[in-house]
Amino acid sequence: MKSKVVETDLLCVGGGIAGLMAAIRARDLGITAVIAEKGATLYSGSGRLGNDHFWCYIPEAHGGDLDAFIKECMLTQLGPMTSSLGRTVVRTWLERSYEIVKLWDVWGIEMKHDGKWECSGHSFPGRMMTHLKYKGYNQKPVLTGEAQKRGTTIMDRVMVFELLGNADGVTGALAIDTRDDTFIEFRAKSVLLGTGNLGRIYPGITPALLGNGTRPFTMTGDGRAMAYRVGAELLNMEMLSRHAGVKNFARSGQGTWAGVCRDPEGRAIGKYVSKPDIRYGDIVIEVDKQIFERYRQAGRGPVYMDCRGISADDLVYMIHGLENEGNVGLLAHLKEESIDLTKNTVEFMTYELRCQGRLQMNEKAETGLPGLYVAGDEVAASISGAAVFGWIAAESAAQYIKKASISATQQQKIEEKKEFVKELQTRTQGPDWRDANLALQQTMSDYAGLIRSEAMLTAGLNHLRRLKEKAQRTIRAKNRWELTRCLEVLNLYGLGELVFLAALERKESRGLHNRSDYPYTDPLLNDKLLSVKQVEGKPAVEWRNTPA
Amino acid sequence: MPPEIDYEECTGCGACRDVCAEDVFFGTTGDAGADKPVVTYPEACYHCYLCVQACPVRAVSVRTPLQMHVPYK
Repeated sequence: MKSKVVETDLLCVGGGIAGLMAAIRARDLGITAVIAEKGATLYSGSGRLGNDHFWCYIPEAHGGDLDAFIKECMLTQLGPMTSSLGRTVVRTWLERSYEIVKLWDVWGIEMKHDGKWECSGHSFPGRMMTHLKYKGYNQKPVLTGEAQKRGTTIMDRVMVFELLGNADGVTGALAIDTRDDTFIEFRAKSVLLGTGNLGRIYPGITPALLGNGTRPFTMTGDGRAMAYRVGAELLNMEMLSRHAGVKNFARSGQGTWAGVCRDPEGRAIGKYVSKPDIRYGDIVIEVDKQIFERYRQAGRGPVYMDCRGISADDLVYMIHGLENEGNVGLLAHLKEESIDLTKNTVEFMTYELRCQGRLQMNEKAETGLPGLYVAGDEVAASISGAAVFGWIAAESAAQYIKKASISATQQQKIEEKKEFVKELQTRTQGPDWRDANLALQQTMSDYAGLIRSEAMLTAGLNHLRRLKEKAQRTIRAKNRWELTRCLEVLNLYGLGELVFLAALERKESRGLHNRSDYPYTDPLLNDKLLSVKQVEGKPAVEWRNTPA
Repeated sequence: MPPEIDYEECTGCGACRDVCAEDVFFGTTGDAGADKPVVTYPEACYHCYLCVQACPVRAVSVRTPLQMHVPYK
């Protein structure tokens, strides 16, 4: 195996929106930046295919009262998504969002519609519009271009799998080339984690097709897993979320659909709209993403998205939005099957379970570990959050590195990891990544799924620990692609264990965390977050207050 | 399983391989037009259609698996 050492002021792990924005800002502030991306920055991450709604506060469009704007936003899906971040983080996010919108517009991402800021979608009829409608189909190429223009080193097809450093500070990371036989040591004064969502931990809606998730296949919570191993704090690992959308073809974009959700008799299941409306869509999906699942279970489904009656112009607008949101594959399928949205209604569903656990982050994008920053879906699933906190992270890192230096390398750890990576590729017997991944999903679903109890969680944790130990000892990779997957799956096992530990500690039912032995919501835990952190090699679970 | 390549048309330029974040065409060099891509890991496909759009000779298509067909009425 070849080895290489790369030095930088800021290492961006993940070349999504967060990593690219951090690298751009870092270069503007005069510090060096390297992006290590598992795929290719032009085409990877959850924002890879584009987006059409950007959460931002534009005073001239939203009025001068930021607090009133935040209050309205908290009624939408943003409420559960951002409430645990605390008010300071949310305020900072929105206060800095307009600056980013204007920059993106200058760089060539069309943030305006016919020369004006246009807000639509993700909002209640007759009330304040919370999201800017934009044409984000080219956001990854544009941001990649801006990063390259400023001299960022972009290393595509590189997976960072381990951080260097400890509770005193992060000093770099270890990575593999996902195509060639190369091991990379990054010596970095600061590191930004922007590795995206935590997927593939629960079974998908089409379990045999591991790639059919609401987020791309390679989003496996690597940042969370690595950060935990060097002492960073993870929050609410036990909490679950589910997205909703077109049945069987898992995809984001629910807020872009303009139709009405109806039961088989044609009755609207929500009370917000009675006919297609491109300004709002049917926000009942956002109010209750479980509604499709409950209708199905109660024998009242299926529920259909009904766009019939939409005007020709509005249909063009909606399709345009879906294309910008990256639903090109879905639209191609509808066309191929002659599904005409002006005549046919398409079934909607509640998607797979997703782990809401995240890294701790403050308004400066700091994690609590010196030199380690975080942004994007590591914290809250949002393009604008990724952009704003990626930007802020670089500002924080630029300050931090004034006093940081490239530390002595952790030679022993590096050698151990190198050996381990080599060993995975030399094992001739044992499970492959797929077997290990599916076994994990099965265990998570059976023991830490929608119904939980102390007995089930304890049994599941024991089983998972046995599987984890065996996977660690025997999993094998035939090539670099499978090696990448093996490292992802081992990260997922680590995170799965934390889900069990946190779920055992949360002795109440809240959201989708249903404890049959504690079937009520404990009001004393209303403003609390459950933290898990490695202390002396062992996980320590503790309650924290939600930050101000 | 998706994607599918029409080898009669494919020139082996490697454009599909370059755009695939999941690297489903892993193992293909794509150099100098000599080596034609192979769909090595179809289960990782995200059905994003970037490979379809990237192909200069329209040799790549994506077949939606039956499991992903959208029910409608």
